[in-house]
Amino acid sequence: MECVVQGIIETQHVEALEILLQGLCGVHKQSLRIHELCLKSVPNLGLVASEIRLLCDLEQPEPTWTVRHVGGPMRGAGAEQISVLVRPMLESKVNKNALRLFNGLGYKLDHEQLRVGFAFHFQRGAQITVTISSINKMLKLHATDEALPVTPGIQLVEVTAPASSENYTEVVASVSSFCEYLAPLLHLSKPGVSTGVVPTAAAAAASLMSDGGGTK
Amino acid sequence: MEGVVVGQDQQQQQQQQQQQAGRVMVEGLNPAVQQQLNLESVKTRAVSLFKAISRILEEFDAIARTNALPKWQDILGQFSMVNLELYNIVEDIKKVSKAFVVHPKNVNAENAAILPVMLSSKLLPEMEVEDNVKREQLLHSMQNLSVASQIEKLKVRIDMIGAACESAEKVIADTRKAYFGTRQGPTLLPTIDKAQAAKIQEQENLLRTAVNLGEGLRIPGDQRHITSGLPGHLVDVLAVADGPQSFADSSGTYLKNTPPFSSSNVNSQGALLQVSGALRAAASPSGTTSFDTTTASPLQHVNSPRSSANMMNTPSPQQQTHQQQQQQQQQQQQQQQLQQLQQRQKMMQLPQHQQQLLAQQQLRQASIPGLGQLHGQPQMQFSQPLGAQQFQGRQLASGALHHGMGQSQLNQGNQLNRHLNQFSSPMNTALFNSAQSTPTSQMISNMSAMMPSQTLLPRMQIGMSGGTRNLAAANLSDQMFNMGGNNPGMMSIQQQQQQQHGTFANMSQNTQNLQQGMMPLQNTPQQTHPSFQQQRPQGQQ
Repeated sequence: MECVVQGIIETQHVEALEILLQGLCGVHKQSLRIHELCLKSVPNLGLVASEIRLLCDLEQPEPTWTVRHVGGPMRGAGAEQISVLVRPMLESKVNKNALRLFNGLGYKLDHEQLRVGFAFHFQRGAQITVTISSINKMLKLHATDEALPVTPGIQLVEVTAPASSENYTEVVASVSSFCEYLAPLLHLSKPGVSTGVVPTAAAAAASLMSDGGGTK
Repeated sequence: MEGVVVGQDQQQQQQQQQQQAGRVMVEGLNPAVQQQLNLESVKTRAVSLFKAISRILEEFDAIARTNALPKWQDILGQFSMVNLELYNIVEDIKKVSKAFVVHPKNVNAENAAILPVMLSSKLLPEMEVEDNVKREQLLHSMQNLSVASQIEKLKVRIDMIGAACESAEKVIADTRKAYFGTRQGPTLLPTIDKAQAAKIQEQENLLRTAVNLGEGLRIPGDQRHITSGLPGHLVDVLAVADGPQSFADSSGTYLKNTPPFSSSNVNSQGALLQVSGALRAAASPSGTTSFDTTTASPLQHVNSPRSSANMMNTPSPQQQTHQQQQQQQQQQQQQQQLQQLQQRQKMMQLPQHQQQLLAQQQLRQASIPGLGQLHGQPQMQFSQPLGAQQFQGRQLASGALHHGMGQSQLNQGNQLNRHLNQFSSPMNTALFNSAQSTPTSQMISNMSAMMPSQTLLPRMQIGMSGGTRNLAAANLSDQMFNMGGNNPGMMSIQQQQQQQHGTFANMSQNTQNLQQGMMPLQNTPQQTHPSFQQQRPQGQQ
């Protein structure tokens, strides 16, 4: 299971957000360059399609592959009250033959994207990962070198934390309290819920930048 | 400082005078002695005050030299002490100075030299010089005028200064208000103009749908050819000989729903198909064999991970021994199954989640006669509903909530889930399912005949009393993460509900309790028909 929230931030404020996160998390950013292939099964495999994501981390010296299955969000009145999306998520490292394997199983490529940005991994009540990335699409199949941003002026911010069914409430609390620290710069919400841009973002970014990297 | 020096001079003069006064005025001796003592203390105090003030000045010197920030708190404290001490000294001197009013009655040679000094109101020379200088500055421009006009001008000047001070204070107060106002109020937040906000919104939607759903990232089928060179990480993964990955652009064939919906859809439809297949087989009036096939087909899935666990492994010997019983009940079951088939056909027209709700209810109903009559062999009958209900669990929960059911029902389900998981016996789940459905006298009597686990039953009753039927399936499998996930969060509410509905005793002793617990269920609109066989599952809950 994972708890996840997403938000958007204008590209001009990304550096300020990076400064803020570095101050909050105490760790340095890690560059991110992930080629994500979303595979969907053909209709005859099962009665309904299932979806598998293959992530290839291009930042490592040797590309590492991960397979990921994301389930649907937890539903219920309790789920509606919390501001974080909780959903099942299974992830595993695989070797590079995974793509071929899934193709052989009958999974066809539905869409792919390239995420370029950076991430912060830290522990703050829960193991939280904040990624700021620009989502790029490829006009030609698998052409990661010629990827263009889907939205040049806006980048995606995602805060995720793994959880289990026993402790997900604490993880949710940790994630939401952390997100409050980012409130001056961006709003985070469940994936699919649109937030818009925060009006104080410009001022907050300016103050962050002018401090010369000082804490907010 | 000058005041203190003057004080000291005065003291010395007073001392001298006292000595002289002691000689002049006899009555001054005794008070003079007392005052001498006071004078000495006043002198020491004045000296210590002088030292304190000089210390403060030294501190300021040091701070000014080192450009350090003064600790205002400390300095203010020292100032206040000095102030207090000075005040006390002045008070004492005032008290004492009354004794030094000089009214010489007699001027003689001894007094003559001192008296003029004592009696003069002239200021000390330094003070006089200062006074003159200040007066000079003030009246510089007005020396030529008359005194009255000088007074006028001075008054005007004083008024102007007063007005300037007042306006300065006003400005300070206004800025203070404004400063505090902006800090607290949201009125000064910058706003984004609407056109820009709309643009950003549009971009945001693009981005979010791209990330979460892949919208806008799909390459049409005809363009899906690996034309240019593959990036490094894909070169050895995708041999070019594999050819283009053709993706039939019939995206309509894929359900673009969220995965759990689709997966539960798979399973539920599969279950439905299984069941309907079984039912069709049962509906034929051909007799005993049909019943075997109905039970056989679900049993084929007994060992699959979808159905609940291991207990299903051994029904086959029981199946053979109880065939006679089965034959007796077949007609009844066929009727029910016919009904279910008809209902299922109707269901197909309903929206997906409602279908599953109905299916679950129907399947539960199918299990109930089996409950009563197949006493020793509930497992076979329950494989059907269990199979279907497991898959529907997840969707049911969402469907149920879709219809606005509260947390309470989930809680009961969660509690039951945990308990059920502890025991993980199909008998219990079947009992629970039957308990969840509408109560009838038949079922109650059947229930009393079934005693799988006495400790479990009270808990199931707790679940029954408050809730509706829709929770049964959700509890059957650990894999239904919804329920599992909801468990910790809803514990408190579960406990509250336990208190509300009381605890039920062992069912063998309290079938009456069961009936009482059933009352709320009976009152719900779903359960208007007393005869269980004729019950139609009502629509949305």
